[in-house]
Amino acid sequence: MNEQEHIDKLMLELRRGTITIGVLSQLFSPQYGYSLVTMLDEKGVPVEPGTLYPLLRRLEKQGLLDSSWDTNETRPRKYYVLSEMGKRVYDQLCREWESIVKSMDDLINTRGDENIGDG
Amino acid sequence: MEMVDRYIYAVTQKLPQSQREDIAIELRGLIEDMLEERVGNGEIKQNDVEEVLLELGSPKEMAQKYRGTKKYLIGPELYDTFLIVLKIVLISMGAGLGIVFVIQSIVNPVEILDHFVGFIVALVTSIPQAVGWVTLVFAITEYYGGVKTKDLGLEKTWHPSMLSVVPDPKRRIKRSEPIVAIIFYVIVMVWFAFSSDFLGVYVFDGEFKEVVPFLNEDTFSQYMPFVLLLFAIFIVKECLKLITGKWTMKLMGYTVLINLIGIVVVSYLITGDNFWNPTFMSGLVQAGVVEEGTKGYNTVETIWENSTRIIVILLIVGLIWDSVEGFIRARKK
Repeated sequence: MNEQEHIDKLMLELRRGTITIGVLSQLFSPQYGYSLVTMLDEKGVPVEPGTLYPLLRRLEKQGLLDSSWDTNETRPRKYYVLSEMGKRVYDQLCREWESIVKSMDDLINTRGDENIGDG
Repeated sequence: MEMVDRYIYAVTQKLPQSQREDIAIELRGLIEDMLEERVGNGEIKQNDVEEVLLELGSPKEMAQKYRGTKKYLIGPELYDTFLIVLKIVLISMGAGLGIVFVIQSIVNPVEILDHFVGFIVALVTSIPQAVGWVTLVFAITEYYGGVKTKDLGLEKTWHPSMLSVVPDPKRRIKRSEPIVAIIFYVIVMVWFAFSSDFLGVYVFDGEFKEVVPFLNEDTFSQYMPFVLLLFAIFIVKECLKLITGKWTMKLMGYTVLINLIGIVVVSYLITGDNFWNPTFMSGLVQAGVVEEGTKGYNTVETIWENSTRIIVILLIVGLIWDSVEGFIRARKK
């Protein structure tokens, strides 16, 4: 494996963890799968449909999302929206995320000092 | 759009029945959305469909993502043991058949080519069988083992106090023990299956003369399935030992059960009238091994006539010992 492949693999793992928060953040109003794909893509968080669709179903199964079929449009679409529990979970996740960002910032920014201290 | 149908079919086919319809509609919607974004209101070409499907990935991967978990016939925990047992069985089967071939060639060197062809045919027919049976046993173990721990929620919250004691060296089962046993069983099994008529007394007079078989060749084919089945369950027993790696009460239970079956089956087999070669003694006389009326003849005859009882007794002692040993070692803390 060369350097780039290592980076790609690590990035994949890193993204995987953030996708769920990203998805939940966009579901305060009902969305169907593909509208979410475009929305997230526009905001710089590209998600493959093949990943997003199963994820939505899983979140629904876990009770974080509610779903309903809309059959009025040209084709039937399944709309997902945050459930009450989903909203609470999302709020908590955001707080956790912010604390992770803060800690990581600390770690990354103090790296140089530590090294000098150790060296 | 036929390709889209095929794709959706391929994905949903790999999913549980209850989710198929829902996911099919959803996937179709997704694909149509993606196509629409690509070509707008223009005409959809085959090429566009292909590109969209390529973007979605192979149906297999797609279905896997929907399922979330991977399914195993033989999971990672059992896989190593499975490979070991499979190797042992295949190697010892090959060895057993090789021995049969060598014996046949010594007994009847003229037909060596036939023996060789027989050897190859036996290999070809028995390898798939061996692989199949070993896989079946492990798949069953996986199925029941897997269901128990995860799906039924019997797995309690783990705590360090739940760690089981490192087994006393006396409780551990050395890997070599079951491996040797499996090799032994497979070789003997192969012998029974492919040349039961060569189990007997080999008569040499300068060079090889003949074999006086122990078994009744005419009726043995009736007994064959029982004998093979018996060996098979003994091999299962050894596999369990190999998997568990230490003596436990459960393993002991299985051992006792299998040994009991062994005793019953063997007793039934060898006390039957037709199991042994009825002309064994006269065969020996004809071959010139012993002369009728001599002391040697009487000794051999006594041994031969009591052999049934002797074997049953030896077997019972052996199997009971095996069970008792398991019991003693399983109780060691």
